[in-house]
Amino acid sequence: MPIGGFIITCAPEDLTAALEGIAAFPAVEVHGTDEKGSIVVVMDTETSEAMDDIVKTISRLPAILSVGLAYLNTEDEIGDEA
Amino acid sequence: MGVSRRDFLKQVAAATAASYVGMSLATTPASTAHAAGQAQKWVRGTCRLCGTGCRVELGVKNGKAVALRGVPKSRTSMGYLCMKGMLFHKLIGNQPDRLTRPLYRAKKSEPFQEISWDRALDIAAKEFADAIKANGNDAVAYYGSGQALTEETYLFQKIMRGGLQTNNVEGNPRLCMASAVGGYVTSMGADEPIGGYANVEKASCFFIIGSNMSECHPVFFRRVMRRKLDNPDFVKVINADPRVSATSRIADSHMQFRPGTDLAMLNAMAQVILEEGLQDDEFINNYCTFRIGKESKQVDLSSYRKFLEAYTPEKAAAICGGNITAKSIRQAARWFAKSNGTLSCWTMGINQRRRGVWANNLIHNLHMITGQLCKEGADSLSLTGQPNACGGVREGGGLCHILPGHRLVAKEPLRNQMEDIWGFPRGRLPSKPGLHTMAMFKAVNEKKIKAIWVHCTNPAQTLPNVTPYREGMRSDDLFMVVTDIFPTRTTECANLILPGAFHFEKTGVYGCTERRSQLTPKAIDAPGEAMPEVWIAREWALRLAKLLNDPMIRQCVADFEGKEPDYALPKAIWDEYSQKATRGQDNDLRGATYELLKTMHDGVQWPAPTKEHAATGGTVMKFVKGFDPLADEHSENDLPYQFYGPAHPDKKLWVWLRPFQGAAEEPDADYPIYFSTGRIIDHWHTGTMTGRIPELIRGNPYSFVEINPKDAKAYGIRNRDMVEIESRRGKIVMPARIRSGPMEGMIFAYMHDMAEDRMVNKVCVDAFDPGSKQPEFKICACRIRRVSGPKRLSPVIVQL
Repeated sequence: MPIGGFIITCAPEDLTAALEGIAAFPAVEVHGTDEKGSIVVVMDTETSEAMDDIVKTISRLPAILSVGLAYLNTEDEIGDEA
Repeated sequence: MGVSRRDFLKQVAAATAASYVGMSLATTPASTAHAAGQAQKWVRGTCRLCGTGCRVELGVKNGKAVALRGVPKSRTSMGYLCMKGMLFHKLIGNQPDRLTRPLYRAKKSEPFQEISWDRALDIAAKEFADAIKANGNDAVAYYGSGQALTEETYLFQKIMRGGLQTNNVEGNPRLCMASAVGGYVTSMGADEPIGGYANVEKASCFFIIGSNMSECHPVFFRRVMRRKLDNPDFVKVINADPRVSATSRIADSHMQFRPGTDLAMLNAMAQVILEEGLQDDEFINNYCTFRIGKESKQVDLSSYRKFLEAYTPEKAAAICGGNITAKSIRQAARWFAKSNGTLSCWTMGINQRRRGVWANNLIHNLHMITGQLCKEGADSLSLTGQPNACGGVREGGGLCHILPGHRLVAKEPLRNQMEDIWGFPRGRLPSKPGLHTMAMFKAVNEKKIKAIWVHCTNPAQTLPNVTPYREGMRSDDLFMVVTDIFPTRTTECANLILPGAFHFEKTGVYGCTERRSQLTPKAIDAPGEAMPEVWIAREWALRLAKLLNDPMIRQCVADFEGKEPDYALPKAIWDEYSQKATRGQDNDLRGATYELLKTMHDGVQWPAPTKEHAATGGTVMKFVKGFDPLADEHSENDLPYQFYGPAHPDKKLWVWLRPFQGAAEEPDADYPIYFSTGRIIDHWHTGTMTGRIPELIRGNPYSFVEINPKDAKAYGIRNRDMVEIESRRGKIVMPARIRSGPMEGMIFAYMHDMAEDRMVNKVCVDAFDPGSKQPEFKICACRIRRVSGPKRLSPVIVQL
C-alpha cells in the first residue's frame, strides 16, 4: 500500500480545470495549490500499479502539464511481497 | 498498519512535495521525513535511468529498499523524480530472474551451467590469453557502457590498453553521444558543455532540437517548463523536430522539418542572423575564427556570409518541407539572437545522424555568432541519455581513440603521460586507436576478434541493422563474456555470464550531462554471488598476468590488490583516476574526492582542481574567468573568456562552414517512408530493466508505431491495426497508433521492445557519421502495410 507525494503542474489559468480533473480520483488528496499552477497531492493506493495508473491518467488530462514525484513509501507493499 | 501511521506518512509525503515548490502546508514539515519508522537509514545517490543525474535518497530497512525520495537541495533535480526514477529501486536487491551465479557454456548451442567464481575467472582469462597468443593483441576487445561506473570503465580500459596492449576499448556512448563529442571538440576545442542546468532558470529562449525531453529527460524538462510558465511572454520556446511530441506542449513555435534537413535549417538561421545584423561582433572578433573542410582551413566572416547565401530562409524552407517557412526560420533566428540568454538542448535527433558532428557544429555556430555563450542563461547543451556516458566513457577513456582525461590515443606525449602515471615503460601503450563500435562488431563478423567482454550493455539489441551483427555474436568463433544483472538478447550470445552488482549494491561515481560527478555508495548487499565489476576486473587481470607471463598486466591492478570491493577498491580506483589521470587536464577532478562527494547533496562540476573549489559544486561555467579556475590559470590576455581547450591551438571557438547533407538513406519508390525511433517516458533503452518493473511494463507492454493520420488513411491503417515495417535490412510488425505526431511521410516506433518481431533495430540502417562513427539510427527508408486488425500481444522479457 504505497503512499506517494507529488507535485502536479498546470498552467495557472487551468488550475480550476486541473483540480476538477483530479477530484475524480478518490485515492488522490489535494494538500495545497499555488498561483503558479502547482498542486501538491498525496496518493494512497492499494498497489504501486494502481498508483502508476492514476499518474498516467492524470498526466493525460488536458489541463495537466506534468506529474512529478517527490516522495514514495512502499514499505508496506514490499512487506506484503516478502 | 495503524491509521495514525499512514496519516503520518501522508503528511510526510505532502510536506516533502510542498517543500519542492516552496509551498507552506498546515501539516508536518518535510524534515519529519527523517523521522523514525520510515527507514533505518537513507542513502543518497543518483538515479540510474537517464543522463540528468537526479539525486535520490534510498530508504533502507532490514537490508531492503523500502522508500525513495528526491533530494531538494540537489542542483541537478531539485528534489523531483520521474516515474522511472520513482520505481527503479524495485530492481535493487533480488528479482526473480536476477543473475546471481556465474554461468558458463563452451558452445553457444548448449545450456548454461552454474560455475564458481574461481572457475569463471579462470575461463575468462584463459580464453583472452589464448586469443592473444594465437591471433595477437587486437584479437580481443572490450565493449562497455555509459551505465558502468567511472571506476569500472577506467579499470577495464586500463587493463585492456596497458595490460593487453590493445585499444579495442569501446562503449555504447558511441551510439548516442559520439557526435556531441565531435561537435564540442571541433567547435569549442574541448569536449562537454560550457555551462549546465543552472542556465535554465536564467534563459529567455530555449531552442530544443532533436529532443523529446518531456519523455526522455522529464525532470530537466520540468525546469524548462517551469521557466516558461513563470514567464509566458518573456521566455520563448522553439521546438524543432520532424515529430510533434509532448515537449511541443510548451513551445511557442514547433518547427517540423523533413528528417535529415536540419543542417539546412540551422544554416538558414545563421544566414538570417548575419543578414539582419543580429550577430555579436565583439564576441566574434574576440573569440571566433571561421573554418572549412577536413584541413580546418581558416577563412573569414565574409566567406561565411557568402557560404550562407545558399541557405536563405526561402531556399532552406524549400529543402526542409514540413511546416517550415521562411517566416518561421526568421522568427526563430530573431528569438535566438535577441534573447538575454538562449539555451539550446538536443539529444539523439541531432547526434544519431550521418552528419551528426556537423549538426552539432551548426548549433554551436548559432551560439558563437550571437555571443550566446559564457553568460547566464546561454549555453549549447547536449543532453546525455545515460547516467555515465560523460563521466565514465568520455572522461574515463572508454572509447577506442581516447585515454582517460580527454587524452587522444594517437598523440605520443599524451600516451607517455598515462604510461608514467600507470608505471609502464614508455611505448607500452599501443599507438593505433582501436576499432570503433561498428568496426568492432564488423571485425567480430569477420572473425578477426576472437574474444570480447561486453559490460553492462546489450549490443545484440542496440546495434543498428542488428541481424548480421547478432549472427556474428552468436558464432562459436567468438568467445563472449557478458557482465550484467539480467538475461538480455546479448547474454543469449554469451559463453560466460558474470553477475554484476546493481546500483546501490556497490559504490562508484556517475558523471551526468553537466560535467557533474556524483557518488552513489553501496546501500544494500547484492543478491546471491553477484559482485562489483571492479572486483571482477581485478581478479581477471591477476589471472591474465600469470597466463601471459606479463608483470605489466599485474601492474595495472597492483595498487588495488587486497582491497575489499564494496568501498575501498572503488575508492582506490577513483583516487588514482581523479588525483593522477585528471591532474592538469580540462576535467581536473582532484578536488572531488570520495570524502567530499559523500558530503554533497549533488556533486562536483569539473574542472575542480582543489577541494575548496569542489566544495562549492565546482565550475558552473567553463572558460569564464572568476568561475573556472583553469580559465584564470590559462589566461593569455585581459578578455573575460579563455577558450583553453586542448584541440584548438589558436584558443578560439571555431565557426564551421558545413554544407547541407541529407540522410544516408532517403525514401524512394520502393521504400517511400521515413522510419524513426525513440523513447517512451516509462521505458529505457532495451527494456531489460524497466521491462521487469510491473508498473512500467503493464503500462506499455510492447512497442507501437505512430503513423500520421494522412498516411494511415492512404495505407488503410486504423488505430491498433498490426502494421509491418520493412526496410532493406529487415522487417518488424507492431500495432499502429494513429497520431499527428510524426509528420506526413514519416513513422515513429518505440525502441524498447525485445520481442523478436518488434526489435526496431532490425530495420535501422548502420550507416554512420564519418567523423564520430555514430550510426544514423534516427533516419532510414521503409515501407509499411497493414497486416491485420488489432491483435492481442504479450510483453517479452528474455529469460535464460
